[in-house]
Amino acid sequence: MARSIRRTPGIALLTSVAFLVGAAGCGGGFSDTKGAAGDSTGEVRMLVNITPNLTKSYWEGLVKPFEDANPGVDVKIEAPTGSGVKDTLPQLLAAGNAPDVVETLMADRVLAPQMLDLTDQAWTKDTPLVDQAKLDGKVYTVGVGQQAQSLVFYNKDAFAKAGISAPPKDLDELTADMGKLKAAGYLPLQTAGDYVTGLQLMQLSDPSIATKYPDWFQQVNSKQLKLGDTLLPLLDRYESWIRNGYVDKNALGLKDVGAQTNFLSGKAGMYIMGSWFVRSADDAKPTFDLGVFAAPTEKGQPSPGPQGVTMAAPYMVLKSTKQRDLAVKLVQFLATDKAAVQSQLSQDGNFRKGYTEKLSPLGKQVQDILDQAPKGVAQGEGYGASTLPSGFNGEWNKAVQSLYTGKSAKDVAARMDSWLGSKS
Amino acid sequence: MRARLTTLSMVGPALVLFVVMLVVPVGLSIYLSLTDWDGYSANPAFIGLKNYVNLTHSAEAIRAGWVTLLIAAVGTVLLSVLGLGFALLVNGASRLNAFFRIVLFYPHVLSALVVGFLWSAVLGTSGVVNGWLTSKGSAVLPFLSDPKWALASLIAVLVWAGFGVNVVLYLAGLQTVPKDLLEAARIDGATKRQTFFNVTLPALAPVVTVNLVLSLVTLLKTYDLVVSLTGGGPAGSTQTAAYLILWDSFHNNALGFGSAQSVVLMVITAGLALTVARLRARADQGASA
Repeated sequence: MARSIRRTPGIALLTSVAFLVGAAGCGGGFSDTKGAAGDSTGEVRMLVNITPNLTKSYWEGLVKPFEDANPGVDVKIEAPTGSGVKDTLPQLLAAGNAPDVVETLMADRVLAPQMLDLTDQAWTKDTPLVDQAKLDGKVYTVGVGQQAQSLVFYNKDAFAKAGISAPPKDLDELTADMGKLKAAGYLPLQTAGDYVTGLQLMQLSDPSIATKYPDWFQQVNSKQLKLGDTLLPLLDRYESWIRNGYVDKNALGLKDVGAQTNFLSGKAGMYIMGSWFVRSADDAKPTFDLGVFAAPTEKGQPSPGPQGVTMAAPYMVLKSTKQRDLAVKLVQFLATDKAAVQSQLSQDGNFRKGYTEKLSPLGKQVQDILDQAPKGVAQGEGYGASTLPSGFNGEWNKAVQSLYTGKSAKDVAARMDSWLGSKS
Repeated sequence: MRARLTTLSMVGPALVLFVVMLVVPVGLSIYLSLTDWDGYSANPAFIGLKNYVNLTHSAEAIRAGWVTLLIAAVGTVLLSVLGLGFALLVNGASRLNAFFRIVLFYPHVLSALVVGFLWSAVLGTSGVVNGWLTSKGSAVLPFLSDPKWALASLIAVLVWAGFGVNVVLYLAGLQTVPKDLLEAARIDGATKRQTFFNVTLPALAPVVTVNLVLSLVTLLKTYDLVVSLTGGGPAGSTQTAAYLILWDSFHNNALGFGSAQSVVLMVITAGLALTVARLRARADQGASA
């Protein structure tokens, strides 16, 4: 199905939509119930993200102890039929064939009406970021861990050769260090095209924005703050980095893997990325001493600042489920069982307070950063009450990339204002 | 009556499939294009032509439209010219030609996603070509990092991946060129060039039309290669209409707006394909008059 959509989007999209809408009419896909309690045995369908490390057999192994502990219960792992969970779920919902549990997505205004309210489940209180992910005070999403986002991985050897004795605490220091790294023969900051360009600047900016505007998401949404004005200082700085050659002007021709390879081969001084990079870095065993520090804040603000974080392995139960009790029990197992949590954390490079035994030295540094951060803040498009309109990440990425193709920081700020204006 | 029933029983299944697979989806998508639907809510809100009005104001959609038309126009010409050129080169029965035909068709067998990843490894900033250039002390070429270069690279790879079909069709067409006419031209002392333009090409006219329409329709729907080669970048410069439709529909939860774009793309595609076919038919009529 995904294949046909890709090959003939005009017709195939319409065909699929038609099927879905048609099926919804007879399938009752948009159930408004709170899910039938169901039997104590039976099948629970779970739609999950499939990646090279999160394979279908991994998921089946993960839920096996749950099945063993609940005889007669079969957890059916379902892979996306579209290009991902995000486009598969609406298709399944509309076809009246929704799964009982969905992994990967987090509740927003669009998804929440389809999801079961888990607020009365006491066990959710101890899961990571559960409060931050609440929507109108209700818990729809529970997660297994955290992904730290505002991290700067750095080549300690390069820093030493450039005469930098300690990681920078603010963005002026960071910019000065970039100059030193360049003079020492290194590319100061490794970036890439694809999704990386915008993500990196957002990851770097989050602590500063969150310190300067504690309710940034809400104020921007309510037009109390102008989006472009809040982003302009960071865009100005990034523009100067491009001008000074602190990032490679041809980096937009790289994908994330190429950028990682360049950084891990020792060509670049720094690489801004989320905590999932720890796993790649550990596997690559770089020949240089690799470290990580929290994203510096703008000048004058305390460092480390709030850490950009997202929920790792989020789960939701569909409101339309006919196996509500089993589905909730399964999610509880996945988010609270020690072995299940540990397995998911190590499999996908995620973090959770109290789970430090199996961390590599680099992973321990990330956990320290998470522990020391004054608080975690939503990243990019956000989640829970801190959410920007859908499409922010994509628009921001394109806008930041346009700095490389001749647009000015002011152009980009105006573009973001115009985009937000079109969403209201 | 019996004959009618027999006809109906034979046509019926195809008719049902046609209605279910084509008429209903198109009708429903036209309906969805008149709604504000996020893909989840139970009742898409009817908003009339607002999606179409928004489409005329969307700088991104307009740019994607122009990019798509440029890809389709340049790509169609290149596919036809190269397809015909290579078909002429490998026309004739020899073992070497059979081998070259397989080689020429091979890129078309690959999935567009694979083709994209393959060429991004060749053309990327750290790719094979730039790696070689760097090792020779030359500057990196911005195949995928500069908007104009990236668009040109995309078109080049699309043509590389697609012209095998054109070659095969032209080869089939070349078998239909009347041999007596070619022989007569040779006896009359016509040069190869004269023979090609006055005998071969007119005889290939129907194949040219088929190739033009097929290439045009295929290129107007370019999607998978964009995903794997450029990701629509840099800065959205290689976003095609099909790419934007999927992006808006599923990443931005705007299925109503995405459907409106689909309808417009469908109309433009049908319009262009019909125009090419009509022009060809008119030319044929003029030639026979």
